[in-house]
Amino acid sequence: MVACQERVFVRGYRRASVAHSQRRLAGELGVVRMSGRVSAVCGTVVVVLLAHGASAQQPKIGDPPEASNMKLVGYSDLQARSAYQPTIHHQGNRWIAYIGHHGGTDDIPDPVNPMTGKPEPNGTSIVDVTDPAHPNYLRHIPGQEGKYESGGAQMVRVCDGDHLPKGDRNAVYMLRTFGSEAHEIWNVADPANPVLVARIGGLKDTHKSWWECDTGIAFLVSGAPGWRTRRMTQVYDLSDPAHPVKIRDFGLPGQEPGATGAVPTELHGPISTGAKGNRVYFGYGTDKGGFLQIVDRDKLLNGPKEPTPDNLKFPEIARMPLSAMNGAHTAFPMPGMRIAEFAHDKDGSTRDVVMIVDEAIQNECGEARQMVWFADVTTEARPMMISSFTVPEASGNFCERGGRFGSHSSNESMAPVYYKKLAFIAFFNAGVRALDVRDPYHPKEVGYFIPSITQATDKRCVTVDGKERCKVAIQTNNVETDDRGYIYAVDRANTGLHILELTGEARAIAGRQ
Amino acid sequence: MRTWPVIAAMFLALGGLSAVAAYEMAPPRAGEWHEMAWPFPRDGWPAGRAFRCGAADCGGDVEVYVRPKLGFCNCTSGVADDDEVDRVADVDMISARFVPLKTGDSVDVADMPGRIRAYAVELPGGKRTAIGIALSHRCDLMVIAAQGSGDAAQVRQAALAFLGSREIKTWMTAAMGSR
Repeated sequence: MVACQERVFVRGYRRASVAHSQRRLAGELGVVRMSGRVSAVCGTVVVVLLAHGASAQQPKIGDPPEASNMKLVGYSDLQARSAYQPTIHHQGNRWIAYIGHHGGTDDIPDPVNPMTGKPEPNGTSIVDVTDPAHPNYLRHIPGQEGKYESGGAQMVRVCDGDHLPKGDRNAVYMLRTFGSEAHEIWNVADPANPVLVARIGGLKDTHKSWWECDTGIAFLVSGAPGWRTRRMTQVYDLSDPAHPVKIRDFGLPGQEPGATGAVPTELHGPISTGAKGNRVYFGYGTDKGGFLQIVDRDKLLNGPKEPTPDNLKFPEIARMPLSAMNGAHTAFPMPGMRIAEFAHDKDGSTRDVVMIVDEAIQNECGEARQMVWFADVTTEARPMMISSFTVPEASGNFCERGGRFGSHSSNESMAPVYYKKLAFIAFFNAGVRALDVRDPYHPKEVGYFIPSITQATDKRCVTVDGKERCKVAIQTNNVETDDRGYIYAVDRANTGLHILELTGEARAIAGRQ
Repeated sequence: MRTWPVIAAMFLALGGLSAVAAYEMAPPRAGEWHEMAWPFPRDGWPAGRAFRCGAADCGGDVEVYVRPKLGFCNCTSGVADDDEVDRVADVDMISARFVPLKTGDSVDVADMPGRIRAYAVELPGGKRTAIGIALSHRCDLMVIAAQGSGDAAQVRQAALAFLGSREIKTWMTAAMGSR
């Protein structure tokens, strides 16, 4: 799954909150039982103080951002649209940020585009970030009508025409989703005036696709008609973006049309290491029943294509399950990592690692903690989880702040500036977290930035005893980096785009001055 | 600082929580149906409640497993189709090998719309009949799986009659949040 409608998670609070509250209640009763009236008064004071302590964590408009080893460089409000995937592209002598959006909200289904003066369904924002201190909003391309997950144009990838095998050398191609019904390719050579090139429609759903710019092979997360799952993979040859060629449908045995029995967890997104790496890492699940699937890319592209159980199994190298309480939103490969701790070992000093990021979907900790996992996949047939990372909840009373707390996604750029050194994780109300991943057996946080809320920041609600209770908190949704080292964090709760840079120890790890 | 309103509000909230807990612990109608322990291993969702009715009372032994799944993505379309029932209705907890007997039907239980579908399931002791039900409310689901030795119509009728009892409807409503 993913991201669902925010109000959904309103309800998601209940069960966990009841258990949580019952534990708390038991603790409180324990205090009251101590010894009569004095203890009862003391207990009450403690409860009141705790209540005030929690409310003190509520962010307010005007509060400064919270930061360590990261600082704000620039900001765009993105027309107060709920943001998902940012992709930063070096285009000629410019740097352009393409940002996919979720659908609108109950309160504002179609925000007004100040450039046209008209309400437009959330789609894709195109922002010139050549000067990161002064982002220049160029264009909004409307997406599918619909609120939250039901509309918008969440996903975006960009390839240069002169990089694609059969592309127009003067074109720059943006691949985006169009709500749940289509994938679209636009020519954004002039990013202020995009032109639609091609469309792949007729789908039940879409999501976090991957596009290899050197081959044109695209792994499109789609809901193909007839498949038993909302999201699977359609492999396309988009080397000539004007003429998409379908290669095959792919999913897990049991998801294909006509199958019976249990239906495996749906796909969230793939990342390919291309023809040279010959691997595609698929993350399945969102916040539950997730697993990592390692696939032989060549067998996937060139093996038997009819979606039979045997043919779907054919390219799979291994499948590593997560706990049933965790899902896999992003499966980010980091092959060939030299591990300093293992440098003197006769074997195994270099490891292939995959960073797996779960997605939190419930507000106010209404589910098991969603976090970051590192898997050693050096022996591919026997991948093993080696470490994990989460933001300590008590460091910011994040379960009380409002909205989601937990991981969602990582940067996916493999540019040398940060690759295999630092990873950036979107952690919803805990902002963006910078991890030192040079030793993936012991990942360490070295910086963070939690943006300030604004007037545009949307509320997030839970139901407590039948009544809706809402809070306003930052919801850092996705993060990406560019080759220059700038970090782009976008907000699901309509706060906009924050362009960041590292400082101090974190900056030194990247080898930057 | 005026603390009494805060304290009063907190006690009210605690009282509310106790009421919800009481709902969750409330037994179903005494008689033919008996609650039993949740028979399945832990998965991504918290355990639900399980009930059994003997052959003498239900014309064939029937078990019903019911639990909320809070946080479902199809907020606007609800339970869209039979594939959705196959995916979410917990029939796979009874057995990973199940085959639908026919196209499902729309159903409404405890004022929640959804779909119901009948299956043949393979168990070590032989084939059984199962029923899967998925109900939606906003972005949450209530899912029910039932199995029995009778035919599909019999298991379906027994399961729906049980789900229609006031106690179970009240519990489902409370478990989904006070709607």
